[in-house]
Amino acid sequence: MTTTNLALPCPGRPAGHSQAAEATTAALSGAPVRVDNLSKHFGRRRSRVTALDDVSLEFAAGSFTAILGASGSGKTTLLQCAAGLERPSSGRVSLCGADPASLSDRKRTLLRRRHVGFVFQDFSLLPELTVAENIALPLRLDHRHVTRAAVGDAAARVGLSPAQLRRLPPELSGGQQQRVAIARALLARPDVIFADEPTGALDPHTAQRVLSLLRETACGATVIIVTHDPQVTRFCDRAVFLYAGRVDAVIERPEPEDVAARLHALGERATALDEMVNAARSMA
Amino acid sequence: MRRGWMLAGLLRNPGPVIGTLVACMVTAVLTVAAIAVGTARSPSPLGRLASAAIVVAGSTSLEVTTSQGADASTQSVPLPAYRGIPDSLASQLAAVPGVASATPESGFPDGTTRPGTADLIALTLVKGASPVTVEQRVRSALRSANLNSADLNSANPNSAAGYTIATGAARGDLANINLPVERSSGQQIGFTLIPLILVTALFALAATTALAVSLRGRRYALLRAVGATRGQVRRAVLAEQALLAAAGGLLGYLPGAFLGRAGISALASHGLLPPGSADSASPWLLLAGCAAGLPVSVAAGLAAARRAARTTPAQAMRESRAGRRKLPVIRTALGLPAGAGLVALIVAAARANGAAAQEQLLAPLLLVALVAVALLGPVLVAAVAAAARPLRVTGPAARLALAGISAQPRRAASAVIPVALATGLIGAIAFSETSVAHATTAQSAAAVRAGTVLQAGPPGGVLPAGLLAVVQALPGTRGAAGITPVSLGVEDPTLEYIGGAAIGGANLARVLDMGVVSGQLNMLRPGQVAVSAIEASAGLGVRLGSPVTVYLPDGTPYRATVSAIYARGLPIGSLLIPASVTAGHTGAPTGYSQVLVSGTSHKALAALAAARPGITVITAGLRPAGPGGQRPEQVE
Repeated sequence: MTTTNLALPCPGRPAGHSQAAEATTAALSGAPVRVDNLSKHFGRRRSRVTALDDVSLEFAAGSFTAILGASGSGKTTLLQCAAGLERPSSGRVSLCGADPASLSDRKRTLLRRRHVGFVFQDFSLLPELTVAENIALPLRLDHRHVTRAAVGDAAARVGLSPAQLRRLPPELSGGQQQRVAIARALLARPDVIFADEPTGALDPHTAQRVLSLLRETACGATVIIVTHDPQVTRFCDRAVFLYAGRVDAVIERPEPEDVAARLHALGERATALDEMVNAARSMA
Repeated sequence: MRRGWMLAGLLRNPGPVIGTLVACMVTAVLTVAAIAVGTARSPSPLGRLASAAIVVAGSTSLEVTTSQGADASTQSVPLPAYRGIPDSLASQLAAVPGVASATPESGFPDGTTRPGTADLIALTLVKGASPVTVEQRVRSALRSANLNSADLNSANPNSAAGYTIATGAARGDLANINLPVERSSGQQIGFTLIPLILVTALFALAATTALAVSLRGRRYALLRAVGATRGQVRRAVLAEQALLAAAGGLLGYLPGAFLGRAGISALASHGLLPPGSADSASPWLLLAGCAAGLPVSVAAGLAAARRAARTTPAQAMRESRAGRRKLPVIRTALGLPAGAGLVALIVAAARANGAAAQEQLLAPLLLVALVAVALLGPVLVAAVAAAARPLRVTGPAARLALAGISAQPRRAASAVIPVALATGLIGAIAFSETSVAHATTAQSAAAVRAGTVLQAGPPGGVLPAGLLAVVQALPGTRGAAGITPVSLGVEDPTLEYIGGAAIGGANLARVLDMGVVSGQLNMLRPGQVAVSAIEASAGLGVRLGSPVTVYLPDGTPYRATVSAIYARGLPIGSLLIPASVTAGHTGAPTGYSQVLVSGTSHKALAALAAARPGITVITAGLRPAGPGGQRPEQVE
């Protein structure tokens, strides 16, 4: 397991972080995120699609993992099941010591709220809230007191100026909006950060800066990034390749060139498989 | 960080909810206007009655008690014509202890007087007498007067029914004895139209709110993803909808009050409310009316938010990107019985025997249609989109539009339903009026056989007395009939006044072809009544020769036998009775409003008209029943 070297000091958890959260954290046994024999199907009968098929993975505390694969390989579904956003069809998820599927919706929400941060491809900021309000949103939903200083500090860590805090998201560039999303994910000091294609809507230069920022400011959180961009793995300790809902390979300390070659091969296999399926359907 | 950030965000970007705001405002406007019209008051100056502590008048309403076995039910309806009170009662009332004077007053409101009859009796009290005590004594005195009077139209001779006793501000109402009928007409309009308009507005509000919330589904999904519980999402929607409904309601207050005043003024100008009527509703009541949309808006918003909150965040985010393609199961399941009910009502209306029965089905049919369209909106939209698939060949715009509708029938339905409901409601009202008008014109053309019609010049006026006899005596006259529209009370089975006509003359068949189905209508004698086929079958349930009680405009019962049943009821009315019976009971000068003549030369009639002012000679056509010299037909 690789230890993350932080360029910026990580402040302690904000005051008011719940005792329940501390208790849950204390109950963590080893990896904060683990999935065992995870399967997920969509649809029923003839229209049934298997998005995940018996996937078992473990994400060590403080690790930085990229999940890669061709489109439709199950990357996003894996992230959503692991984060408790989606209920798996079978298998078990352990998120910060709890199985989200066994919790009530409220407790699952509280688990996410207190232990998990999200960064989405389309930034997922509320357009009618200012940057400061967007950053403070998860803590406000948790009824925690949020000071301007704390929000300003989180914004400063991702390179946002105080003037930008008062602006609305649509007034910012894509890179700036993703910084806001990262600041929002980091403010609650989550144990785990899930990022779904965080650089998908950014140009390569901005993408590099955003990932660098995420790596620097993660403060020991376990980061799981879903991506199809090999360059993302430059910042990762490990790369997990999915193919047709299964784990195809796991590479420690990945190099972007190797990742690109493997992705290309997976793409070729996927195309060949599609052609076979289409041919079989047309014959049928 | 300051609090209220969610609402601050709403104010910063109101675009997505502006539709809800406008719908709330429109609902508030309609509700406030409806309340204003429904509670309109007419001025009731005391005038000559200011010095009278108690005013006694005749009955202003007709009360009929029907006893069926042990059950007895009393129905009441305002009288179209007020017939006054015997002035001889004044001496009896003057003898009541505590009464200083009892003065018969006549000439209310239009100055007409009738011998032996007063409009009302004004009582002054001796000094120190308690008005309440004296009123009780007056009531007792009237009760004993009732026992001795066989003439009074009283449902219960042991009560003071048949009289109106007023004290305080209520005395002013008796200064214009026509008020109850005019109020009733305005209220009838309110009772039938306003609920339909409000139901439409509330459906439109619910659809708009549901659309606005569903369009913000991604926002709620995002809130769920970053840690909002279902309850927090629901509360956020609740707060938003409550705020929007309150703001919309307040914005609708002034326009609603203005619309209400305009409505009162319009009703008054058409004689459906007393002249000078004004809104009298408390501002607080109107303010409460502003909140009419609040529960609907909040409930519709919560229903949509509940759906958004119940789905997993991942699913919600997927759906908000693609929209919900699936048709709503529960909504469709509820809509299907409504649709079936609508079909059943349409079939029942088509099979109903006559317009009266069809008219009774109109309001429930319209309401069920509104509910069915509102519930089955997505299904109907999807069906229309499927049926319109051939239009795709017309170009990419049509292809895109149809694809958009097919992909998201719920959203399309939310936009379509309010327009469909409004169009349906307005169409139903407009087309029913034009249909009736068309049928009336057609029946009128078929009914009039007379070559010439003499008509009173000013609307509501009557032709000179004796004109019919003069015309009948003219050389060449083969037939002549005089007609006056008159409101007649019947139990069909609801006690109500309907449009009819008083008819006089002989050889009626030569001037009028009413499409007699059974019996004869060549002459109508006292003790006879002719009934339209619709009223006979669907209303009164009578046949040729059946006994029937018809109430004259002043409430006098007229017991008659059905001597004819005719098909063409629209131009003249549903009942024809001899003019000699109605004389003195209509509250209007005796005389015909039209005289139909057959055989006499037009020249001779023109000369006759020239010699008598106020007569118009027309070659054909009847003035429809209703807005003639009599009180207009009751609005059903």
